[in-house]
Formats: sequence, structure tokens, C-alpha cells
Amino acid sequence: MNLVDAKTHLLRYRPGTTDAADPLVNEALALAKISPELACWLEAQSAGLTVLRGRFRQIAPPAGLKEQILSEFAASQRAMARRRLLGVTLAVICVLVATLANLWPPRRATENPLVLYQNRMVRIAMGGYAMDLLTNDPGSIRAYLAQHQAPADFTLPVPLQHTALMGCAVRDWRGARVSLICFRTGKPLPPGVASDLWLFVVDRASVGNAPNPNAPQFARVSRLITATWTEGNNLYLLGVQGPESDLRQYLL
Amino acid sequence: MSDSADFERLVERFYAPLYQFAFSLTRAEADACDLTQQTFTIWAAKGHQLRDPSKVKAWLFTTLHREFLDSRRRQTRFPHLELDALEAELPTVAPAAISRLDVAHVLDLLGRVDEVFQAPVALFYLQDYSYLEIAGILGVPLGTVKSRLARGLGQLQQLLARDITAGQPPQAL
Repeated sequence: MNLVDAKTHLLRYRPGTTDAADPLVNEALALAKISPELACWLEAQSAGLTVLRGRFRQIAPPAGLKEQILSEFAASQRAMARRRLLGVTLAVICVLVATLANLWPPRRATENPLVLYQNRMVRIAMGGYAMDLLTNDPGSIRAYLAQHQAPADFTLPVPLQHTALMGCAVRDWRGARVSLICFRTGKPLPPGVASDLWLFVVDRASVGNAPNPNAPQFARVSRLITATWTEGNNLYLLGVQGPESDLRQYLL
Repeated sequence: MSDSADFERLVERFYAPLYQFAFSLTRAEADACDLTQQTFTIWAAKGHQLRDPSKVKAWLFTTLHREFLDSRRRQTRFPHLELDALEAELPTVAPAAISRLDVAHVLDLLGRVDEVFQAPVALFYLQDYSYLEIAGILGVPLGTVKSRLARGLGQLQQLLARDITAGQPPQAL
């Protein structure tokens, strides 16, 4: 190592640090011990280094910088807390909406006895029931129904009075007897099917939200078009397969 | 380290040396403040990822330097004095002459050193970091740090000698 190389390496030598552990710096320091010229240069260099380090370390942060950093941090923390709160709020709202969306329609259905009643009666009509009494005699039907504590004092709409009567059955609805009177529209029926027009009569008090006495309410339930109305103490449900017009002809 | 008290202690301990490093690089108070502020903002967001508390200081300096380089890439590079390769013979500068220079002049000289050498030279003077630690902060190999330090300090030495010989007044920052 010559003097020029040694000076180059000693430029990055800071007394009192680990710089001397660097092999090249260490070798240059060893050379400085035997070279008066290099030793003199190193002494001046070290003094100059001390001055320059002092100058660099005189750099002072402007007043208020620390406070500004802390203030910005506090503001960012508040903003983060607000965002977190907003996120939690949105999550809670989403959960509530999802819960309501899942629960609301079934609850509405379960809370609507009329809808439940309509669904149940339509399932009976479509489910392959067996008539308890096969007859086309209205008097026999009323007698059978009365005998079995089912409504027998019903009033038939005039068109229905002239429709072919096939028989009747008795079913239950929440502890109340339901009269099922079966008719035939005259359309061709599949083998083994005796009826395609059904009238259900039940005590209106047994269905919580039975409609007020006025014009029939039409609704499609499963494959049937139904008309529901009240008269006296009875709730009537008439159902048939086909369009609404097919049903209306039995109510005029 | 995430609550306000810990953060305040961290700022208390490191904001001044970080600012010194930032000012050495930018030579502009506003830019140095921004860099220091940004460094602590990044710490607030990501500092919890650092597992070894003994590396906090190096992490902060590394982050500040990275932010400086990013900001430099977004700006037009400023013109600086191009020096020849390290002269064969390093000039000797009298310590008494150096002591007449103020901080602004010293930083102006640093700003005229090749940009790639400025960060290692600033860390060399500001902190007692080893070469290995400086290499870690700057993200370069150890040998590169030694080379950049030698060349950067050599350029600074030449600039000092020129200014002092010519009796130039300190240039405005």
C-alpha cells in the first residue's frame, strides 16, 4: 500500500469507531505509524473530520417540527379511529340487513294466518285427498258436515249452486273444523280424479286476519287461483286450476 | 409500539437526527421537514411489522432515504458540479480553514458532490454507524459503501480545498 492508497482509505476513518477494524483502514493506520508524512496528513485529516462532523451535527430542526409530527400522528389516529368505527358500523348494518332479509319474509308469512290457511287448504286440494261423502245431494252434504261439527250453514254463490256437486270432506285448521265441498267444472279430468273445484268453509274467527265482508280477494296459491271472502261467520275459499276468469264465473 | 406515548418517545429520540440526515440530503428546510414527517407517518402505519426493537433507528433512516430517492425520482434532477475521478493526490486541507466554514457552506459543498455519494457521506458524518450499518440503511453492498465513501469524501476534500484556496464565499442554499 502506497501513501496515496493509504490516504484514500484513511479518508473514511473516524477515530473512536469501528472503522479501524476494516482491513484496509487498519493497514493504512499501520503505515501512518511508520510514515511521518502520512501521520501528519492523518492528524490534519482527523482534525478536519472533527470539525466537519461538528458542522453536520449543528443542523437543528426548526422549532415546532416535533409538535407538528405529534399533531399529525394524533390527527391520523383520530381519522383511523373514525374509519374503524365507520367500518364496524357498516358491518353491523350489513349483518342486520342480512338478518332481516333472511327472517322478514318467513316471519311475515308465519304472521299472516290467512296466507297460511290458504296455503294449507290448497295443499289439501292438490294433495290427493279422499272425500268423506260422495254425493250430489246438497242436503246430505249439509247434514254430514253438521254431524261432524263442520260449518254447514254456508251460503253458495248462485253460479256455484248450479255447478255439479261431487261430495264433501271435513278437515281441521288449528282446532277448527273446515268443510270441504267438492264440485266439478265439466272439464275432462284424469282417471281417478273426481273434482276440480273446491270450496272451503271455516269459522272466520279461526283465521286471525280474515278479510272484511266485501268483494272476494283473488290470489294465486301454488297451481290454483283462489277467491277468498267472508259472509256471516264464515270464511270462504274457492279454488280452481286455470285463469282468474275461470273462477269469477262461479262468483257472479 | 403503537400507542401515543410510545410514539412520542420515538419522535423525541429520533426526529432531530433524522432531520439532520434529511437536511443533509435536501438542503431545504421544508423538504427536510416533509421527509422527517413522512418517515414517522410510515412508521405509524407499518412500524408494528418490525420485530426487532434494536433496528428501529436503522429502519427509520432507511425509510427516510428511500422516501428521499422516491421524491428525487419524481423531480427533475438538479444540476450539480461534476468532478473528475478521484484525483491521485488528495489535497491537504487545514483544519483551521475548515473551521471557518459554517453549516450552510458545508452542506452546499456536499450538494456539489455526486448525488450517489451524498447519503453515505452524510451518514458518515452525522452518525457513528459502521460501514455495514450504512450499507444496510442504503441497501447496497458493503464494498459499495466503502467505495462510495472514499469517492464522496475525496470529492468533498477537493471541493473544500478549491473553495478555501479561491476564498469563495459560501453559496446561498
